[in-house]
Amino acid sequence: MARKKIKVRICVGTACFVQGGADLLLYEDFLDPQLLDSCDIEGSSCLVQCKTDDPHWKAPFVEVAGIVYPNVTQKRLAELIEEAANA
Amino acid sequence: MLEINNQYTLMKRRIDSEVLKAFFAGNLESVVNTLPIKIIPRDREPNRCCVYKERAMVRYRIMALLGVDIVDDDDEFKTLEMYVKEALEETPSILPTLTTITPGCGSCPDEQYIITDSCRGCFARPCMANCPKEAIVFINGRAKINEDRCINCGKCLDVCPFHAVIHVPVPCEAACPVDAIHKNARGVVEIDRDKCIHCGHCSRSCPFGAIAERSALLQVAKMLSEKDEVVAMIAPAIEGQFPGSLSQIISGLLALGFSDVVEVAQGAHITAEHEAHEIQERLTAGAPFMTTSCCPAYMQLVDKHVDTLSEYRSKALSPMAYTADLCIEQRPDAKLIFIGPCLAKKVEAAQIASIDAVITFAELASLFVARDIDIKEMPAAPEPIDSAQFADCREFALPQGVARSVVRRSRSPISTMHIEGIDKKTVRIMKTWTKRPPEANLIEVMCCEGGCLAGPGVLVNPKIAQRLRRGVNIATVGAKPLGGN
Repeated sequence: MARKKIKVRICVGTACFVQGGADLLLYEDFLDPQLLDSCDIEGSSCLVQCKTDDPHWKAPFVEVAGIVYPNVTQKRLAELIEEAANA
Repeated sequence: MLEINNQYTLMKRRIDSEVLKAFFAGNLESVVNTLPIKIIPRDREPNRCCVYKERAMVRYRIMALLGVDIVDDDDEFKTLEMYVKEALEETPSILPTLTTITPGCGSCPDEQYIITDSCRGCFARPCMANCPKEAIVFINGRAKINEDRCINCGKCLDVCPFHAVIHVPVPCEAACPVDAIHKNARGVVEIDRDKCIHCGHCSRSCPFGAIAERSALLQVAKMLSEKDEVVAMIAPAIEGQFPGSLSQIISGLLALGFSDVVEVAQGAHITAEHEAHEIQERLTAGAPFMTTSCCPAYMQLVDKHVDTLSEYRSKALSPMAYTADLCIEQRPDAKLIFIGPCLAKKVEAAQIASIDAVITFAELASLFVARDIDIKEMPAAPEPIDSAQFADCREFALPQGVARSVVRRSRSPISTMHIEGIDKKTVRIMKTWTKRPPEANLIEVMCCEGGCLAGPGVLVNPKIAQRLRRGVNIATVGAKPLGGN
């Protein structure tokens, strides 16, 4: 069954990039190949999420299938894509 | 050594950005006392014992950012506001660069080998057979190490078929190439400043974040906000550290308020020319080899620990020193800021009168974040007209890059070798060089494994940085096919 690929946008605005977003760009290394195959990943312009004062809404941000998530780590990114793939 | 981006380094950058944001908003003095609470809110799940200790550590981090020597000048009765006032009024010296936050030290147990429950008490007993000090005894059918006899050689760990032996190091002590860091009688970290070469290996290895670098960041922010004539001298390793091209990074620096941006690769060209010429002279005169001289941690290593090599290292000045000369020729009144991946450069720069401050890429990142400068969206700055002459010296940041630049400028062929990453073992090898010369003419020495691109002040995994340096667009930089790393 051919499924539409999940759109993943990793914010590479400066704030995200320096708060660990740069490490998310190593996705070829840390994502499972099958998971990798299920999505289209790109570095994206600033998602304009970093301007709030909410202590829990922090960079780096990633948009997975249209929803923006804060504090994304490599592990969290893998989980998010997996969730989206199984949705 | 820890990864470049971990909970601690990310927290450090966050603190730097928050302090700078408040500084540029003009209210640092009034908010700084409560910044630790803002950064560590009550409902945070703490990584240390509690949020209160985390807040105390934030306070220390802010002090290091202000340039305070925490070891000697920690006055608990002084508020952060008072420290800020002092830092804004006078320009403190930030040497020695490395300072320790003793309450943060985990008081790690002494280095030891431990035999775990996985020991099967086997018949062959290779641990016992291979122990040179007869330190292994068997109690109730299980191996045990007699600590009084053990010399931490690790032979038992190598030979146990069940991987029952574990090695528990003291991370800072293990990382230090020159035995300059130890636990003192109270069991907390202490740096022997006469021995320290400021490589920063210890601060990158401590999982508790107990070793801090004193920063000139606030001083630089002050110069920028006062609209001084400030020139940024950018180390060759900067390309790939931010989400954009080198020319976009230069635009970003100009947007921050720097009057001009000069690539240190220009000075590297002079260093390489000098070394190419010098090595011919030395070889003709019968010298067996020459080492490079651009790595400031290596320079301190020779000065403090391997005196025998002082006559074998190049007399060329560092790229930073030559670049400072070029800058001052053109702008005699300008303040010069070196921006690089290196902590030892802070020590070197302190000896060069024309250089006003040194900050790292990680510290620069906080300036960009505080001023909302998005490198990805920056226009490309024009390429310097004379860049063809020095463009290849941008490679100085990479292992073998210096040697290659020298070879290109050399009239006759020279053989090269490179030392990448100074640790206890390489120091021992270097000490033998005067008796048994290395089998190459030019020895390039870089203190950090992975070169300057993996220095203590970088913020991007070298794999990604390398790709960005090759001109890959940031949007697709993580994707294949790029080949290698």
